[in-house]
Amino acid sequence: MPDWGEPVARYILEEGLPNTLRVAVVAVIGSTLIGVLLGTLLTIPFRPLRALVRLYVEVFRGLPILVTVFATFFLLPTISPQLEFSPLSAGTIALTLWGSAQVAETTRGAVQSIGYEQRDAAAALGFKWVGSHVYVILPQALRRLLPPLVSLLVNIIQNTTLVGVIGGLDLLEAGKRQNERLAAFPPVGVGESHAFEILIAIAALFFCLSFPLARLAAYLEKRLVA
Amino acid sequence: MHFAHEFWAFVSDNWDELFQGFQNTLKVSAVAIVGAFVIGLVLGAARAHRVPVVSQFTAVYVEVIRNTPILVQIFLIFYGLPELGITFDRFTAAWLSVMVWGGAFNSENFRAGFLAVSHRHREAANALGFRPLGTFLNVTLPLGARIALPSSINTYISVIKNTSLMYVIAYPELTTTAINISNLTLQTTEALALLAIVYLSLVWSLSWGIRRLERHLALSETA
Repeated sequence: MPDWGEPVARYILEEGLPNTLRVAVVAVIGSTLIGVLLGTLLTIPFRPLRALVRLYVEVFRGLPILVTVFATFFLLPTISPQLEFSPLSAGTIALTLWGSAQVAETTRGAVQSIGYEQRDAAAALGFKWVGSHVYVILPQALRRLLPPLVSLLVNIIQNTTLVGVIGGLDLLEAGKRQNERLAAFPPVGVGESHAFEILIAIAALFFCLSFPLARLAAYLEKRLVA
Repeated sequence: MHFAHEFWAFVSDNWDELFQGFQNTLKVSAVAIVGAFVIGLVLGAARAHRVPVVSQFTAVYVEVIRNTPILVQIFLIFYGLPELGITFDRFTAAWLSVMVWGGAFNSENFRAGFLAVSHRHREAANALGFRPLGTFLNVTLPLGARIALPSSINTYISVIKNTSLMYVIAYPELTTTAINISNLTLQTTEALALLAIVYLSLVWSLSWGIRRLERHLALSETA
């Protein structure tokens, strides 16, 4: 590794990578919880509530994620000062809004794929709506949900790079800042830009995170069909 | 009604710039979609027919694009490649990066479409004396492209949404234009409302189109 590389790599791995992982993990967990709930609500007969959830899903699936990121970061504080978030938190919220809309749509399909006899059986055992969903339908639907949830994790990991746009220090932003430092004149930097090498290294890092997960999703999908 | 008033003031005061931005969004999207269509068709066909070298190249291309963030790809094209002596202006970098991205996803769409054409159709073409190229052009292409159409339109929708990322290279498409104006005038709410309206109407009308198309194109026997 060239002389300039070591501090750059350390900054990216020690500052950027943990932030990227933290944002991704929180966003995936949040998306799953909210998405499964909303997706289940998409299957109930009560129309007004279903229409409301449908609107949420279509809005956040339809907007470019960058617009949602800007909205959570710039718009929420104008509603109430308590809604002012750090770039990383705002990014996590935006990714959760987007991710939960994706999960809701998949959950709806998975819940509807569970046969009616399962609902009837749950009802016969005395389960009410909540009980039959929590104990009977969702555990079965979860099997179908697992592959898309792993794919969602891959997508969310990649989309964490958007927090850099509002100033959050993720992997990509860490690399960018290091390159700006390198490009400065000595003694701050070395007076030369290494954008290409740094970006290739960042791309490789993301590839190492995503590729195994993408394979896992494909494997789970195949096992499910079999 | 206060907000509606402010909103119209924002739109009409900055109409020329915003309209130019909207046109730039459409321009980048159009070039990228046409490119992604051609890439998807050619590489998807190569993958489905296991054309040596091209098929392996496509597999690597698809995995690399799918497993790295598009933002990194945009940065590589606009800030990375100039260090190797390859320089693009903002417009070229904009359509090139979404085209390369969309092409990868689209070659998977078309591969799946061509593979979904049942081998009985191809055997029938062989029996009629078609050579491999003739079979592809007359049988696999029309049937497979038809199957691939809805999923490829989904990719084009994502291409349109991803043009908003050109904010990071300061290409003046709609998002960049609206956010830059709002940075000067502090009309953030108005700018974001406009972006939401424009993108949602584009995306929703196209998704509506797909649903209609799917019903219209459904093939009765290849399913």
